[in-house]
Amino acid sequence: METRVSNSLSVAQPHKKAPQWLWPLLWGALLMMSVFAMSAAEPLFRWIEPDARQVIYDRAGFVTLLGRHLFVVGIAAVVTIIVGVAAGIAVTRRWGSDFLPLVAQLASLGQTFPPVAVLALAVPVLGFGTLPIIVALMLYGLLPIVRNTLAGLQGVEGDIKTAAHAMGMKPAQILCQVELPLAAPVILAGIRTSVTINIATAALGATVGASNLGDPIISGIVNGNMAYVVQGALAIALLALTIDSLFEVLQRQLRARISDD
Amino acid sequence: MIELSHVSKRFGDETAVDDISLRVAKGKFCALVGTSGCGKSTTLRMINRLIEHSEGDIILDGQAIDAYDPVKLRRRIGYVIQHTGLFPHWNVARNIGLVPRLLKWSATDVQSRVAELMHLLGLPVDEFGHKYPHQLSGGQAQRVGVARALAADPDILLMDEPFGALDPITREKLQDELAKLQARLHKTVVFVTHDMDEALKLADHLVVMREGRIVQQGSPLALLQSPADPFVESLLGGLERGLKQAALTRVKDHMTSMGPTLPAQSRIPGTFSLRQALSMMLRDHSDRLTVVDQHDVPVGELSLRRIIKEAQLDNGNPRE
Repeated sequence: METRVSNSLSVAQPHKKAPQWLWPLLWGALLMMSVFAMSAAEPLFRWIEPDARQVIYDRAGFVTLLGRHLFVVGIAAVVTIIVGVAAGIAVTRRWGSDFLPLVAQLASLGQTFPPVAVLALAVPVLGFGTLPIIVALMLYGLLPIVRNTLAGLQGVEGDIKTAAHAMGMKPAQILCQVELPLAAPVILAGIRTSVTINIATAALGATVGASNLGDPIISGIVNGNMAYVVQGALAIALLALTIDSLFEVLQRQLRARISDD
Repeated sequence: MIELSHVSKRFGDETAVDDISLRVAKGKFCALVGTSGCGKSTTLRMINRLIEHSEGDIILDGQAIDAYDPVKLRRRIGYVIQHTGLFPHWNVARNIGLVPRLLKWSATDVQSRVAELMHLLGLPVDEFGHKYPHQLSGGQAQRVGVARALAADPDILLMDEPFGALDPITREKLQDELAKLQARLHKTVVFVTHDMDEALKLADHLVVMREGRIVQQGSPLALLQSPADPFVESLLGGLERGLKQAALTRVKDHMTSMGPTLPAQSRIPGTFSLRQALSMMLRDHSDRLTVVDQHDVPVGELSLRRIIKEAQLDNGNPRE
């Protein structure tokens, strides 16, 4: 009886896992195809721009552009996650609760500020290149993370926190063993929103000299070459879909850890 | 032993608990009863320093609680709340083992203690150990809550309306189990409830609170016999008070030896209450019952006149 149950489980699991990884693998494969073999689609792009001298963007390899794009988004994500989650934690502690309204407002201010405006303001201070776009992405991506960290931590039931306290857990133990694990799905959803938005927003970096997957788009607009625009947009869209579907898998696993037995 | 002397708690201008003094002897069950907002939960939470008291002394085993490190203090006091407060992301076994793990017990010790407690509370480890709180019924979840509170074998157990959210049948069952558990474990218990029947059933010492003050305290029988004021009397059930008193008195203590007449048809075990005896008399249209021991052997008899006379005697000369 016992063995039969565990057998059926072990048979069932690979079946359950397969569709879970299907989308990230599919989008990932399409992304790889697009960056490694963009030139294979030359006839298609020739059909879009029959008169252009060149239809495949070649000022930099798509692999290089993808790498730079990921670098910019990655740096911004790491910093925003650390800053955003830390701020969310700090203002939900008793000693930091005075700053709760301030932090919530600052974070939403970051969102209302258009990234282009941030770039315009950042360039005179930070110069052209990668730095201003990282700053813009950090400001822009902070809100979803702070907001969801707050919602997640505030969503932990009072009874659970009281019980943890009454059992003799220390504040740090309550935070790490109870509050953060329970808030994790909500926080992760915030990180997912932030990163996916920033993958698209990072393309703006091309306007201030940060070379990434936005380059073909800007260059295509400037030179009136629609094929370039499509190539950049295609790669960015596939990157966003890949990362987003990876988050989907991560979220589902996190949820399963809490509700499955 | 827990001793509160002239303890008050103020939140700003509001006085939640006003100059209360009470003493719970080791191994005794003390119930704090009162309507909502009377300060009973606040009183409970001051004992494990979830709320710091403003004035007076709270003494635990001869030492003021301010002298203890709050975290260490809480680890030696069991705590049970109404909605259990179980951690939803931990399975039952892990929830129960929380305090022993905080106290750095070895993994095998924690495991065997969890198994012992689950057995004690009627939750088979194989069936429930790996379940998560949301997979449990209300009664099962509260059993886990009690097991978690008992895990590190604390001397003191604080319970804040633990059965308040359960349906009446489950509630009664858990009350019976708690009474049995207490008879075995002899913890010093402080139990908050607004349900007077629950308090009468479980407590050795009853404390009635209103608006932050203690109105009356004493043994359940003493309160039933002479409530201090109309408030206590209404809390004790007004006209029903006689029956409640009868519910606390055992048949065995009031039976007379077998008379020369034929024994009555209806039989009642000696461990039953006078209230149950009265009910049986009404049901069977009889004013006499034969009292039997646990082997169903007649040991005495109980008459309606006897019950009424006892009640008179009790009220005339309180025994405590």
